Amino acid sequence: MRVGLLPTEGGGTYRFVILFLASIGILISALPVIVVTIMSFSASEYSSFPPTEFSFRWYFEVLQLFTNEDPSSAQSVVDSTITSLLVAFLVMIISTLVCVPLAYALARSGRNLREGMELLFTLPLVFPLVMLGIAFLLIAESLQLDLGIWRIAIPHIALVLPFVLRNCLSAMNGISVEIEEAAISLGASPLRAIWDVVIPLMKAGILAGLIFALIISFNEFTVTFFMYTIDVSTLPIWMYSRTVSSLDPATLALSVFIIVVDVFLVLLVDKLIAGRGNLF
Amino acid sequence: MSTEFLPKKQALLFAAPAFIAILPFLGACFYILRFSLSAEQGTIEGLSIQAYRDLMTPFFGRSVWLTLKLAFIATIIVMVLAVPLAFVMTSLRSSFFRRLLTISILLPLILNLLVQAYGWILLLGPSGVLNSTLKAMGIIERPLFLLFNETGVLLGLVQTSLPLAVFPIVGAVRAISPEYLEAASSLGAGHWRTFRDVTVPLLRPELVGAASIVFAFNASAFAIPLLLGGRRVQMMGLVIRDMISPLFNWSGAAAAGMILIVLTLFVLVASSWLVRLTTTAKESS
Repeated sequence: MRVGLLPTEGGGTYRFVILFLASIGILISALPVIVVTIMSFSASEYSSFPPTEFSFRWYFEVLQLFTNEDPSSAQSVVDSTITSLLVAFLVMIISTLVCVPLAYALARSGRNLREGMELLFTLPLVFPLVMLGIAFLLIAESLQLDLGIWRIAIPHIALVLPFVLRNCLSAMNGISVEIEEAAISLGASPLRAIWDVVIPLMKAGILAGLIFALIISFNEFTVTFFMYTIDVSTLPIWMYSRTVSSLDPATLALSVFIIVVDVFLVLLVDKLIAGRGNLF
Repeated sequence: MSTEFLPKKQALLFAAPAFIAILPFLGACFYILRFSLSAEQGTIEGLSIQAYRDLMTPFFGRSVWLTLKLAFIATIIVMVLAVPLAFVMTSLRSSFFRRLLTISILLPLILNLLVQAYGWILLLGPSGVLNSTLKAMGIIERPLFLLFNETGVLLGLVQTSLPLAVFPIVGAVRAISPEYLEAASSLGAGHWRTFRDVTVPLLRPELVGAASIVFAFNASAFAIPLLLGGRRVQMMGLVIRDMISPLFNWSGAAAAGMILIVLTLFVLVASSWLVRLTTTAKESS
């Protein structure tokens, strides 16, 4: 056991303080999600905690929202969900298609190119999201571009690139040149060596990147908040418009569904990268 | 491993699609800069620094100050919580609990921010879990106002930016060789002393790096102050939004945004400079 970090026995105040602070951290992270989950099963309209009665009332309500189109609302939940999924799918495919060759090039080329490109592709990560939203809005509005669904997909691609690239790069790092050279010396063309040898070895990293792109795009709120229109809007925006004045319990049931999907996907990523590579 | 396996020309060819994909982002950065220097509010026309001059108001100054203050406090809290969390995470042996912890820390960053805002409202709102519990126990008579003010925003900021600090620190903690700690303890150092004199100095580059990213992330927060701050907590993100949406002052918004970008970039550059300074000092001593 590591002596100085978290002693398994003894340790007195040190152990106590570490565990105490860590518990606060866990509480701050997990409590809101847990409360949303519990309250979504509440039978009553007004939130008293813990709920006196449990029911699937709000889940049925969500189901109804999805099955009965409400002509009075400008943007239906079905439309926004379809848009969300479509955007996430486009973002996932495109970002992976461009990041795999880039990761290959960065891992196999000189240091200068690698450092410069890594810096360039980390920028969207630290760039203020509000500014990204506003910048894309200004471009689309002042140039009067009619982009349809790409209005949201293009900014999302920029947002997920750092995550996808990191995952592909950490997958590439473990693949030595010798494997490729062996394939080439056995008669494969360089491209064939990449396709048949390198890509299969990168598979876990590529999949992790794909899933990350999907999660981030599907949950993105800030940039989409600036870019959405009446015709093109995503599920988080629909939820926002639904709760802007008061909390609608039906959106809690919807939230739980999103939480479950996200947890499942994160578990999948965690399994794929299994201790190698890191999440960021 | 040879690093020059791929000729430069081919490498650039492989990188080209990704470069095209990030081009809109670079265009957006440039467009914001150009718009902030426009002489007109609604279109790009002429060159002027009028938009920046118009920002020299007490209102905008207060917003900058509030943004820096909240981001700074949130960063301190995040760092104080992230280090113990990283220790716990690296010492967990059961892979089930490690996964559970990873998910509960990571989820707030990637989960739809609205869901988390709902959670906080249900927990801390005037008729939320905390207030009704305290009232039932007879501790308070009137509800505590923990939301739609700076406290609520701070909690939200800490929650969403915690993973940005925890995961890099976990990586760094894993890299610490246990021999250092064993040596310290066999020389008679207590836990606190080992922590202060061995662990923290070894982690310093990652701590500074994580803190600067958390600060930049929080300074540019938008959804959290929008959803948890009510109208009273005017962080820069919200001020910039208001310039766009009711006021149509696009060049003003662009100029305010440039200030936000410069502030966050300054913190990032300064911290990486600090890290380099401390590591070279360590090597030369």
